[in-house]
Amino acid sequence: MSQINYRTINVDALDPESSANFPMESLLPATLPQAASASDAASAAAQVRQMLRGGDPEGALRTVLDTAPLGGDDRAKEVHLATVIDVLQGIRQGEMTRILEGVCSGDGGAERADCLMKYLYKGMSSAAPGSGTQTPKKPVSPQDTGFSQIQARNLGEGGGGQQMSVLLSWHERLVEIAGTGSIVRVMTDRRTV
Amino acid sequence: MSQSLRPYLQAVRSSLTAALTISNFASQTSERHNCPEVEANSSPEILLNPLHISRNENEKVKIEPSYNSVRISIRIKQADEIEHILVHKFTRFLTQRAESFFILRRKPVEGYDISFLITNFHTEKMLTHKLIDFVIEFMEEVDKEISEMKLFLNARARFVAESFLTPFD
Repeated sequence: MSQINYRTINVDALDPESSANFPMESLLPATLPQAASASDAASAAAQVRQMLRGGDPEGALRTVLDTAPLGGDDRAKEVHLATVIDVLQGIRQGEMTRILEGVCSGDGGAERADCLMKYLYKGMSSAAPGSGTQTPKKPVSPQDTGFSQIQARNLGEGGGGQQMSVLLSWHERLVEIAGTGSIVRVMTDRRTV
Repeated sequence: MSQSLRPYLQAVRSSLTAALTISNFASQTSERHNCPEVEANSSPEILLNPLHISRNENEKVKIEPSYNSVRISIRIKQADEIEHILVHKFTRFLTQRAESFFILRRKPVEGYDISFLITNFHTEKMLTHKLIDFVIEFMEEVDKEISEMKLFLNARARFVAESFLTPFD
């Protein structure tokens, strides 16, 4: 018992009143929609893909943003992210501006714009599919001793460039329409997608 | 400028414009202290959602905003091992002189090559849009610099090898 060095204990973490123990749930609004499960997200995805195949990309984008699982678990969010990226990749470059203007106008248009912005950043933060299967290369070491401050990393042009460039061009168009305020709301909104 | 570089830098610019709306904020834990909250990590409330912008797997930017400070981490493109070593030497050169760079962080965030830490004191002393311009320009220049150094290194290596092997000719 007396072996523990009490000077290294972070006393703030033990104090329920401390700012380190701020209850993050209190930042979420009470009107958060019901928690969605992965199967709900999958059924929404099937509906959206049907609309996309049916030649209604604007309706598909509108639906996928309206059904975002703000209160769902991580699995549901992942499934929904894949759906959103599919929809975004399914829309041609020339139609982007027209569809965005349609989706971001009307009732709840601002919310949809913010939701799309959240998905753009989330899509860019997740690693490209298949990147996890690469075997890590052996560390680069300039000396024979094998000691190096340089950390190992995967070299090369990097995958996922195609998907990222789609997301980047969507980001550019969306900033033109929704403005910088939309990015601020992505940073401050605790209802993550 | 290449086709996909422009939207990438544009996205970084608009994200930085949004993230650099920071103001003075005294520490909640210790009285009369004032520290960048993104580093102190004293409360989850003050840290905002981090933003990621990536051009591909090996070129990305991470922006971690908080109430009074923003941390920007950049991963520089490295196509092969020579570029990897060059980037390491280059960023080491810069971070060792972090004192005179003001916004440079001494150690990059894990997974990235170089990090900047901008606090509210920096945005008060300097112009915010110029700070953003600097970061964008840095990202543009560093790629050019690295590939230039690589060309120079190869030319030098060829010259050295040639003159070393002349007696055996």
